[in-house]
Amino acid sequence: MTRPAYTPNFDGKKALILHRPHPVADAITRQLAQLGIFCDTCWPAISASAAGSADLIFFDVDMGHDEQFPWEHGQAPLPAIALIGSEAPGRLAWAISLGADAHLLKPVGSGGVFTALVIASESFARRAAMHSELDALRARLEQREAIAEATACLMLQGNMPAEAAYAQLRREAMTARLTIEAMAEQIVDELRAGHVHHRS
Amino acid sequence: MALRGRKVAIGVLFSASGPYAAIGAEGLAGTILAIDEINASGQHDFVLEAQVRDPQGATENYAALAADIVATSGARHIIGCTTSWSRKEVIPLLEKSNTMLWYPCPYEGFEAHEQVIYLGACPNQHVLPLLEFALPRFGADGYLVGSNYIWGWETSRIARDAMEAAGGRVAGERYVPLGDVDVDRIIEEIRLKRPSFILNTLIGPSSYAFLKAYAELGRADSSFQAALRPVLSCNFSEPELAQVGAAAEGQIAVSPYFQNLATEENQQFLGVVARLAPETEHVSAFFAQAYAAVHLLAAGLSATGTDDTKTVLGAVAGRAVSAPFGPMEIERSNNHAVLTPRIARATSAGFEIVADQCVAIRPDPYLAHVATRSAPHASHLRVVK
Repeated sequence: MTRPAYTPNFDGKKALILHRPHPVADAITRQLAQLGIFCDTCWPAISASAAGSADLIFFDVDMGHDEQFPWEHGQAPLPAIALIGSEAPGRLAWAISLGADAHLLKPVGSGGVFTALVIASESFARRAAMHSELDALRARLEQREAIAEATACLMLQGNMPAEAAYAQLRREAMTARLTIEAMAEQIVDELRAGHVHHRS
Repeated sequence: MALRGRKVAIGVLFSASGPYAAIGAEGLAGTILAIDEINASGQHDFVLEAQVRDPQGATENYAALAADIVATSGARHIIGCTTSWSRKEVIPLLEKSNTMLWYPCPYEGFEAHEQVIYLGACPNQHVLPLLEFALPRFGADGYLVGSNYIWGWETSRIARDAMEAAGGRVAGERYVPLGDVDVDRIIEEIRLKRPSFILNTLIGPSSYAFLKAYAELGRADSSFQAALRPVLSCNFSEPELAQVGAAAEGQIAVSPYFQNLATEENQQFLGVVARLAPETEHVSAFFAQAYAAVHLLAAGLSATGTDDTKTVLGAVAGRAVSAPFGPMEIERSNNHAVLTPRIARATSAGFEIVADQCVAIRPDPYLAHVATRSAPHASHLRVVK
């Protein structure tokens, strides 16, 4: 059985509300204050300083556009909550393409911000973990070639079967405290540079 | 519209019948007492007119009856609701009709609606102070038992955080369907697990059945006596204690108000109860908080000369007023009351207060400013390097 949830806590965090001055922004500001969150409202552009210090962002979907964001499209480096008034499919598609982690429907009253924050934080954490896992898998995939090449080199050098060559590669990686991929790249690099080691 | 010489309709929406009638009747009695007192005193230039409806404890009745109050009487203020479900039911009507709900009960927090004034305690004023009292005395390995709905789930969840932060662990956690009185298996599990204490968020008959069965266990095995392994409650009040009787003796409760509170404000208040409602047998926090709600509302109406909700709220929030439980203030930022939690032990003569630090605690309905845990969030996601 999984442990029940901890009480999410946002005390001391900083939020950015990308929305023109409006009761929606005021309502969000009031709810954020109850959670101990400071916030800045900006429109139409996000200042570099505000972007750098924010922990999360609320962004307007009704009047928003790509150029407002100082990061690559869809790559918000913080939990992002879409503020949706018009439910027109085009606007929703834009919010999705921007990588919204959660949303709030306008008008905003006395509730909803806490829920959006909890969901956005969790889905941002998943998004970040998934991205770094993807990066790691991609890197390992690229290094597969090096493993094959290094194994082949060791086979030739030691006149041994593939299994034994691979086992040696693994042993050397462990001794050098490297990943097997990094060890393979090192072996291939050394051979390319003309070093011929007599490996034992 | 000026109120001078007018009858001001006040909605009163408590379940004085149905599964939690004992508690609903308390809210109703406190509200009516305050209205009678205010009208009899002639201290204001208007008269309050109670518009009473009884939802009979059925969640689905609340919204319709609240709408009926507003439509037929024009009331802008309703005193009422006991459970969180019933409160959530009336909120859309409050928004649509610009009506204020004065909610006089403890609840599990995580809400701060602009058109609700919360006079009961939220978790940083009930379960957390209760555990602060209990953990050093009895240990941190508590057993959680509650009624199977939001109050029990959420209060237990907060307690789990606090217990684990104190190095304890949850000895067991069980939920009982509302109204169910079959608690034998839970008692047996408690007997086997020997927790430091039991946190009881059962309501009504389930709670009474549990307390009686636990007293039985204490008689059979003295290590389960209240002095050693108490049952702690955040919602156990005077009329319920009278109903359970000796079986509850020694068990512990937290509340901003107990009838035995030895303060001048409470003596005055009990004097009013004796004078205007002499048939009253027990006075609970539900009663006192509903009573305080009406007085606060009347003060707001009087100060502003209108029953407009925003104007009245503006006049009453952020100002210390006298209530049966001492000075009280509605926090401007979240509409919840600043309250002083007291810890009491159940005796044959009602609740005896055993710890009162006399410290008013500001409401923190989202637990934004209290750390209930020390361990960092253990994510189920693997960190990939």
